[in-house]
Amino acid sequence: MGEQSKTIIDADSQAYMRKRNGTFKRWSKLLLRSKTGTVGLLIVLFIVFVAVFAPLLAPYNPNAINPSSLHVPPSWMEGGSTAHLLGTDNLGRDILSRIIYGSQVSLLVGIAAVLLSGIIGVSIGLISGFYGGFLDNILMRFVDSFLAIPTILFSLVFLAVFGPSIMTLIVVLGLTNWTSYARLVRGEVLSIKERDFVRAARSIGVKNNKIITRHLMPNVISTFIVISTLSVASTIILESSLSFLGLGIQPPTVSWGTVLSDGRDYLATSWWLATFPGIAITITVLGIIFLGDWLRDVLDPRTK
Amino acid sequence: MKRKQLWFICMLFVAIGLLVGCTGENKDETGETEEVNEDNRTLTIALGTDMVSFDVHNHNNTSTEAIHINMFNYLVKRNNDTGEMEPDLAESYENIDDLTWEFKLKDGVTFHNGDALTSADVKYSLERAATDTTLLDHANYRQIKEVEIIDDTTFRIHTHEPDPALLNRISRIGSSILPANYIEENGFDHFLANPIGTGPFEFVEWVRDDRIVLTAFEDYFNGKNEEWDEIVYRIIPENSTRVSELLTAGVDMAVNIPPSDWVRVNENEGTYLAQGISNRTLMIFLRSTEGYPTEDKRVREALDLAIDNQAIVDNILGGAGTPSITRVGPGDVGHAANLYDTYNYDPERAKELLAEAGFKDGFEMTLHSPRGRYLQDAEIAEMVAGMLAAIGVTMHIEFMEWSNYLELRNAGENKDAYLLGLGNSMFDAANALDYYRYDRFIGQLDYQNDEVEELLVAAEQNMDVEERNEQYIKIQKLLAEDVAHLVLHQESINIGVVDRIDYTPTMDEMIYIESITRK
Amino acid sequence: MNYIVRRMLQIIPVLLIISFIVFTLVFIAGDPVALMLPDDATLEEIEQLRESIGLNEPFYVQYGSYVFRVVQGDFGESFRYGQDALSVVWERLPATFELAIAAIIIAIMVAIPFGIWSATKQNSSIDLIATGAAVVGKAMPNFWLGIMLILFFSVTLGVLPVSGRGSFAHLILPAITLGTGIAAEMTRLIRSSMLEILNQDYIRTAKSKGIKSVQVIYKHAFRNALIPFVTITALQTSTLIGGALITETVFAWPGIGQLLIQAVNTRDMAIVQACVMIIAAIVILMNLLADIIYRILDPRIKLD
Repeated sequence: MGEQSKTIIDADSQAYMRKRNGTFKRWSKLLLRSKTGTVGLLIVLFIVFVAVFAPLLAPYNPNAINPSSLHVPPSWMEGGSTAHLLGTDNLGRDILSRIIYGSQVSLLVGIAAVLLSGIIGVSIGLISGFYGGFLDNILMRFVDSFLAIPTILFSLVFLAVFGPSIMTLIVVLGLTNWTSYARLVRGEVLSIKERDFVRAARSIGVKNNKIITRHLMPNVISTFIVISTLSVASTIILESSLSFLGLGIQPPTVSWGTVLSDGRDYLATSWWLATFPGIAITITVLGIIFLGDWLRDVLDPRTK
Repeated sequence: MKRKQLWFICMLFVAIGLLVGCTGENKDETGETEEVNEDNRTLTIALGTDMVSFDVHNHNNTSTEAIHINMFNYLVKRNNDTGEMEPDLAESYENIDDLTWEFKLKDGVTFHNGDALTSADVKYSLERAATDTTLLDHANYRQIKEVEIIDDTTFRIHTHEPDPALLNRISRIGSSILPANYIEENGFDHFLANPIGTGPFEFVEWVRDDRIVLTAFEDYFNGKNEEWDEIVYRIIPENSTRVSELLTAGVDMAVNIPPSDWVRVNENEGTYLAQGISNRTLMIFLRSTEGYPTEDKRVREALDLAIDNQAIVDNILGGAGTPSITRVGPGDVGHAANLYDTYNYDPERAKELLAEAGFKDGFEMTLHSPRGRYLQDAEIAEMVAGMLAAIGVTMHIEFMEWSNYLELRNAGENKDAYLLGLGNSMFDAANALDYYRYDRFIGQLDYQNDEVEELLVAAEQNMDVEERNEQYIKIQKLLAEDVAHLVLHQESINIGVVDRIDYTPTMDEMIYIESITRK
Repeated sequence: MNYIVRRMLQIIPVLLIISFIVFTLVFIAGDPVALMLPDDATLEEIEQLRESIGLNEPFYVQYGSYVFRVVQGDFGESFRYGQDALSVVWERLPATFELAIAAIIIAIMVAIPFGIWSATKQNSSIDLIATGAAVVGKAMPNFWLGIMLILFFSVTLGVLPVSGRGSFAHLILPAITLGTGIAAEMTRLIRSSMLEILNQDYIRTAKSKGIKSVQVIYKHAFRNALIPFVTITALQTSTLIGGALITETVFAWPGIGQLLIQAVNTRDMAIVQACVMIIAAIVILMNLLADIIYRILDPRIKLD
């Protein structure tokens, strides 16, 4: 009897999930129909490809200093050479190689920070929404607190205390961005909680943590995916702002943010130092936002 | 209801608009208008960092002193052209015996509030620095035992030990003579908010991180400054913004112009670059602590040989700067001329030395470096890392905020090396070479050379000028042989100036308003 | 009114949590004594100073007395300014407000026409360009944009002052710099809320009845789209202040952003704490205000 009803509940829950998330076939159909979605996906795949195969793609070591060829302009300009397609920087380092290698760190920080904030945010959202009451109240006040401190301000203080490194950067960005997940997931949980399959599961005495992991979690994943895509974009932008404040990635590690911010003193004399990493960031963000918008259209039940 | 909504929103926008309009208008009345005018008697100078404090004894910041020198005076002042000490507030001075100096003050010197300068002011000022151990500049004044007042304008400075560098000592950062009565009556905090001195310009306002305003002092004892009515120092931290202000004549002078903008400043209509050599020397300090690779003299020498100082000067510093092996520059008492304008570079020999020391495959080390504090410091650090990579040494760089950097060093938590640019406001080898005293950096550098120690003690109290010079030169020779630390180069000063004014930088990095004239 | 009272009461725990976060960070940062004494201070002197500022007390005692003082409006004395930290922060607020309000106005002036335009011509090339421009605006780091604006408008054209606070002209470039990111965000939001309303039945009815579409857009859709818009504007406070941090540095604008950066760099922790608390309080108040305005504007939601 117990087993049977559980199976029915599971089936119900999965059906609901399918209804919300759709199938792979439907996804791909929708993707190909959306021009921007296709473009976004292609851009993101390309950037990931570049990051993964950076050592094979980069023509030079990104930190190789060459005093005899400083500020070489891009190849198509007067004085440029095909040896350095995008030119060299103030220490004679190849900008193309630095951008290729920089994609690794920028993506790593972006994705890791988003995963961390996702884990924190989704767990808190689930707990808060599911249990409600006093616990919910307390957790939501934490959300309000973190929302009230501007991300860059919190990062500034945090990084000044713990010192800038890839690790601290991931941690601080993870710690500041979880609030949006918590809020949205909590909202989702509040509505799913009232669905029949959750009520039924409760009534036959399925343990709370099982309800959360089995029925609630899979159903809020779509919400998570949509926001997290967009968060990766804002994290990449934030990283460059922190570099500007001197709290970004430290050499010899290269990120787009450091290349961009190192080049800012040369915008008037050697514009290519800061422009190409800027373009790399813009294209990536564009791709991610297109992809994110498309994902929202596909996954958000309201837009169906 | 709907009409009400619109009404409400409209009002909101109007309110916001008015608010902005008002703040804008208010500013128009009080704010400065930056017109380029040949007769403009306001001098605007763009600085990269704000002044630290008006507590002259409690900072060791050259760019802060560069402002103070226009508001305060020292007893004697070093002439930047001749290197000779010249009387300033003092009319005359005399070395009575090894431990006693007698000074006579000029007549008719008054503070900005009209009070006359007396020996009591000198006593207060010098003894504050000499006795208050919590002051940052105390270490440079602790040699002074007391100031004895003979009469209103005559006093004697007694030192604990013979001090051949006393005159240099009282013509630098903490040597400003402060108004004793004024401070006693109003308290030091009042002085900090409303500072007065004896200098050619008096204080108007200090808006932190924004501007410092001074105005010409009517009763300056050398005569009121005729060139300028008002001096405005503006704080503009971002390099490119500061350069842009200069290029558009938004400011008359801008300090620390990066080499990449020199050509722009010179070719731009209406501005030029005023260059000079500073007595600041850029160095990489190495740990001689047991267990660090740099404990071995051969390793230190290898690092030194791997660095092409001239290439740094040529490629990063636009050719301005002088490679050196010693920190005591020309113009400093005790300068070893044969160690200046030269450097050692031989990467092949460096590799051999590393192999001899047991680091055939190189090793990894970490360099702490400030960023934006010295001319192209970050670029230099990265360039040095690149040069060391060529002999197999991997140098990681940790760029640090200045206060973190100080804390780290004070706590002795610094790793293998740190980059530091040191000026020498005393213009005396004693100040520069004290950095090699073992006691001073226990747990931080741990460099110890017994012969150097002995010579340092002997020279510090040696009143025989010639012999003292020889001792300091000997020390520099020993340090060079032992490659105690890596000396890179002597820095240049690069100030952008608009065409309407004449300015030549001085080696002490001060900006003497009295030396700035309208063309 | 009950609702507003409840929301206001919620501010108290939120501020407490924020004070705890900030205090903990500062506590971890270690004691400022090292910076307050000269290099050769003896251990005895260090100990003395620690004792006298109460740094030897356990964490909870220090935190307790901190909260107690803050409640009375005492944020401690800034060692750099030798002044009450709160009054230092207070002095800087007008400059930042001026900049932030100007930025919002610019953002509104750009976002409303572009948002509506691209919503009414959904999926046209205009829509695509507007969306693309919004992404570029969002992806462009503040500092890069600021420097470029200075180079173009001040150095090349010579029409606007470079930096500093003063006349109305001084405000233009920093406001554009700060406003761009906000404008991009707003354009996207206005577009989507316009779309939502345009697709609603009553608008379709209006259209079908032959009312000219221009009229439809302005009379019906825009008025309703304004409601979420007011909320959104208030919710940008946090982003605005974060962006001001960087904009103020580029333009040497003497606001709270520069103050905070200097305070963090010099370890002036009294100022850091005061800045974060005040900024957080402002953000919270703006959010509360947005909430109330939202409820006033939208008759469907009752205040109680």
